[in-house]
Amino acid sequence: MNRQKSSSRFRFVGAAALLVLLALLVPALRDGDQRLYFLAAGVTAAMLLCMIIPARLFSLDRMILSLALYMGAVGIFSIAPADPDAALMQWLRCSVGAVTLIIGAMLIRVLTVSMLTSGITSFLGLLLLAGGLLTRDVTLPFTEAGVILLMIAFSSLLSAHGGIAAMIPGLAGTALLLLQGQTVEAIVLALAIFLLLWSSDGRIIVALAALVVFVAVFFAARQLGYLPPFSPGETHTASLSTLVSAGLFGTEGTAADASLPASSLLYGLAGRYGLVFTGLTLLLYLPLVLRGASVAGSARSRFHAVLAMGCTLLFAFRIPAGLLSAFGVLPLPISPLPLLTDSLPDLCAQMLTLGLLCGISSVNEADLAEDAHLAMLAK
Amino acid sequence: MFSVSPEIYNIISRASRWLFAFFALMLLLFALSWLYDERRKRRERFRSLPEAGNIGEMVVISGSDQLPVDTWFPVPREGILGSLRSCDLVVPCPGVHARHLAFSWQDGTGLVVKSFPGCETFVDGVSLLTAEKSDMPVMVHGSCLQVGSAVLRLQLLAALEHTNRPFAVTVPPPEYPSPAAAQQPLPCSPFPQESALPFTDPPARAYQIQPSRPEQQAGDAPAAFAPEREQQETPVVFTSTAVSEELPPVQPAVPRRKRADRWKEDFSE
Repeated sequence: MNRQKSSSRFRFVGAAALLVLLALLVPALRDGDQRLYFLAAGVTAAMLLCMIIPARLFSLDRMILSLALYMGAVGIFSIAPADPDAALMQWLRCSVGAVTLIIGAMLIRVLTVSMLTSGITSFLGLLLLAGGLLTRDVTLPFTEAGVILLMIAFSSLLSAHGGIAAMIPGLAGTALLLLQGQTVEAIVLALAIFLLLWSSDGRIIVALAALVVFVAVFFAARQLGYLPPFSPGETHTASLSTLVSAGLFGTEGTAADASLPASSLLYGLAGRYGLVFTGLTLLLYLPLVLRGASVAGSARSRFHAVLAMGCTLLFAFRIPAGLLSAFGVLPLPISPLPLLTDSLPDLCAQMLTLGLLCGISSVNEADLAEDAHLAMLAK
Repeated sequence: MFSVSPEIYNIISRASRWLFAFFALMLLLFALSWLYDERRKRRERFRSLPEAGNIGEMVVISGSDQLPVDTWFPVPREGILGSLRSCDLVVPCPGVHARHLAFSWQDGTGLVVKSFPGCETFVDGVSLLTAEKSDMPVMVHGSCLQVGSAVLRLQLLAALEHTNRPFAVTVPPPEYPSPAAAQQPLPCSPFPQESALPFTDPPARAYQIQPSRPEQQAGDAPAAFAPEREQQETPVVFTSTAVSEELPPVQPAVPRRKRADRWKEDFSE
C-alpha cells in the first residue's frame, strides 16, 4: 500500500521534470542557444532538488510544494523560446519565491495568536496598502503582500477576539484597495473575509451585517468614483484574440501582443502551446486549492484553520478573476494568474501564501504523529 | 551548441506540442491521483486514531429533552461551546447562549474556559464571571462545567497524563456520592443557582451514576482514576431524601449516546 501511495507522487514529479526539460530543450534545438540549454538543465535540476530536499528538511507539504514549483517552471518555459533572458530572470524570481515559500513555512511555527501578532501584521499590511496612496509618484507593487499580512491579522483577531475585531483590518484593507483602484484585489479580500467570518461565526445576522458593510464600502467607492467603469476596453478584446489565435495546440513563433499586460504569462503560454495545454495546466490549480482546503480542514487550532482557509480562498479567488478578466468576460482590469506572473513581489506573496499552507500542513502532521504516540501510550 | 535543421525542428516542434498536451493531461491525472491517495491515507490514519485531535470527552450529567443524560461530546483542543449548530460543542439547553464560552487546551495546565460576556458559567462551582483572573478555574479530569441548565463532566484521554508534558492534576477528582452523601448535592458542583440545578430539585429527580459504560475503553481515563472506576463496576442508583414513594420508579439507564447520533436524527427529521 505504501508503494501505491508513494508512486503517484513519484509519477507526478517525474512527469513534471520531464515536461519542463523537454519544453526548454525543444526551442534550444532551433538555434542551439546556450541559455536555453542552461535553463533546461538548471530549471529541471533545481525543481527536482527543491521538491526533495526542502520538503524533507523543513517537513513541507510535498504536494503544494511540487505544484507550486511546477507552475513556476511553466512560467519560465512559457517565455523562454521568445526571450531567453527574460526566462533567466523569471528563474531567478522563482528561486527567490521558493525561498519565500520556505520562510512562510517557518513563519507559521512562530506565529501565535496574540495582540502583538495582530497589531504588527495589521500595521504592516495597511502600511503596504497605503504606500501607493502616500507616494503617488512611485508604484509600489506590494498589494498581495499587504493582503496576506492582513489575512494573518484577520485570522489572529478572529480566533482570539471574535468577528467584530477581525473585521476592522479587513475593512480598512478593502477600503485602501478600492482607493488605489485595485478592484479585483478588493473583491477577493472582501469575499474571503466575508466567507471566513460566516463560516467561523455561523450566525446569519453576523454574516448579513458583514455583507451590508462590505456592500456599503463598495457602493461608497463607486459613488466617489474610485471604481472603474464597467465597460470592456480594447485590452480585453486584444487579450481574447491572442488567447484563441494560437488554436488548440499552438503555433510556432506566436508572440504575445505588446498591448497586453506583460505581468501575465498566460498569453505566452496559450500562444505557444495552445489552448489544450494551457487549459490542462490551469486545471492543476484545482488539486492545489483542494489540498489547501484539506489542510485547513485538518488544522487543530482555530487560528491555523482560519489562516489556511483564508490563504486558500485568496489564492483560489484570483484564478477565476484572472481568467475572466483575461478572456474579457468580466470588464475588470487584467490581473495575472497566481504563480504565472513576472512581478517579483506578487510571486513572493503567492509563494508566501503557499508556504503558510505548507507550514500548517506540517504542524497538522506533527499533531497527528503526537496523537498516534498518545494512542500507543494509552494502550 | 547542438542545433537541428529547420525542417527537422519543425517536425519536432509540431510533435512536441501534441506531446506536451499529453504530458499536461498526465500531470493533471497524476496530481488528482496523488490528492486522492493523500485523502485516503488521511482517512485511514483517522480511522486508526478515532480520538485524533480530541483531548477527551464531555459527558452530560444533566441536560434537557434535546440533550439526554449520558450523551457525550468529543472535546477538541479548542473551540466554542454554545447552542448554535456551528459551535464545536452544541449544548441545546435553556440558559445556554448561542455562543456561550470558548475553551482551549493548554499543555501542563488543563482546559482553559473563557466565558463570553453575560454568559454565566461555572467550573466546579466557581463562577467564571466573578472569579479573579489569577484564580480562574481550569478544567481537569473530572471537572464539572455548568452552562445554563446543563451540567457536563470532562473526562480526559488516558495518555494525556503519560506524555512528557508537565501535566499535573491540581484539582482532586470529584468523588462520587456514597449513599449517605446522596442527601447533599454532588461535591463537584456546589452551584449557587440551586433552583436551576436538577441535582437540588429533589422531587423531580433521582441521581444515577453510571461510571462504567459498555463502549468505555479501558484506557480512556488517566491511570490515577482507574481504580476508582473499577470500584464502580455496577451502576449505583442514589435517591435524595426528598424522593418519596409517590415518585415514579427509576428508569433504567439510557445507553450511552454520542452527540453525533442526535444530529443524524435531526437531519432525518
